[in-house]
Amino acid sequence: MQIPVIQKVLAANDLISEELRAQFEKAGLLVVNLMGSPGAGKTSLVERTLEHLRKLKIGVIEGDVATSLDADRIARFGVPVVQINTGGACHLDAAMVRKALGSLDVSELDILLIENVGNLICPAQFDLGEACKAVVCSLPEGDDKVLKYPAIFSLVSAVVLNKLDLLDRLNFNLPDFRRHMAELNPDAALMELSCLTGEGFDRWIEWLELGARNAREFGGGSQSPARCRE
Amino acid sequence: MHEITATQNILSIALSEARRVGAARIARVSVKVGEWSTFEPDCIRFYFRVLARGTPAEDAEVAVEVAPVKYACEGCGLEYTPVEGRFCCPRCSGARGTVVSGREIYVESIEVQHADTGDSESPGRK
Repeated sequence: MQIPVIQKVLAANDLISEELRAQFEKAGLLVVNLMGSPGAGKTSLVERTLEHLRKLKIGVIEGDVATSLDADRIARFGVPVVQINTGGACHLDAAMVRKALGSLDVSELDILLIENVGNLICPAQFDLGEACKAVVCSLPEGDDKVLKYPAIFSLVSAVVLNKLDLLDRLNFNLPDFRRHMAELNPDAALMELSCLTGEGFDRWIEWLELGARNAREFGGGSQSPARCRE
Repeated sequence: MHEITATQNILSIALSEARRVGAARIARVSVKVGEWSTFEPDCIRFYFRVLARGTPAEDAEVAVEVAPVKYACEGCGLEYTPVEGRFCCPRCSGARGTVVSGREIYVESIEVQHADTGDSESPGRK
């Protein structure tokens, strides 16, 4: 006997992430889910952001398989930070974020940056209740990443292309990368910068400030202008 | 490796549906997995064999249908599957499209056997 079912396999995660989204909207803060390969510069981006954006209150959730190395780096800036160790899992899920919020008062914050586990595949599938998903990638990874990982690049509202200072030393074809993004996801803001030299960093800061303002005025949910689209 | 969580959920959904209809055994679980869902059919089948041991789904076949990525063009409305990294609309070259299929993962149906018949009553087998 065949029984029709039609049940979403990730319904449990979606349920929690919607709950989180409502909580974030009510608190009026911008939540960004930062995804990208290991070594792309996600933690460096968070560090430079904390240096540049002192007038806004920023909290950080660090996701890693193991160690509190990233949270230790962030704690030096004197901002609220929670480390999640996934113990092998390749992504953060909504339940982990909900648990982390037990040690983080979001009503105090303007922005919450969630640094996902370094991975260009799995995090794409798990909504964390964020208003914006962003990919951080870097020049040494190669200019073909958009074509190789379309599932994640098609999903995000921003792409940060880091390590721009290496452009003259690598055979990274920047026009190709831009063209791939424009074809796959023309609505995503592409921000080319270097966390090392600070080049191009202003645009990222402006993008965050705009998102935080929208979140404060309209709520931070996916249906609101806080989606950070420019 | 994140398929293990998804597979655990697939198994739970199948077992709870089987319980609901009072079935003794699950013969097949049909799952739809989008090409961009990040879930690998072979991994799901492998984990299912391990996780289902000792449950009514122990010998169940896991039928995974892969749903291709489909875009709906915002310009002209055409539904299309991108080929070879070309994501623009093949009709109007528009780059703005919505992904309407290819990210999903859900359990479509299960095929069960009741203890008294001992045989699957799937329409296909009659």
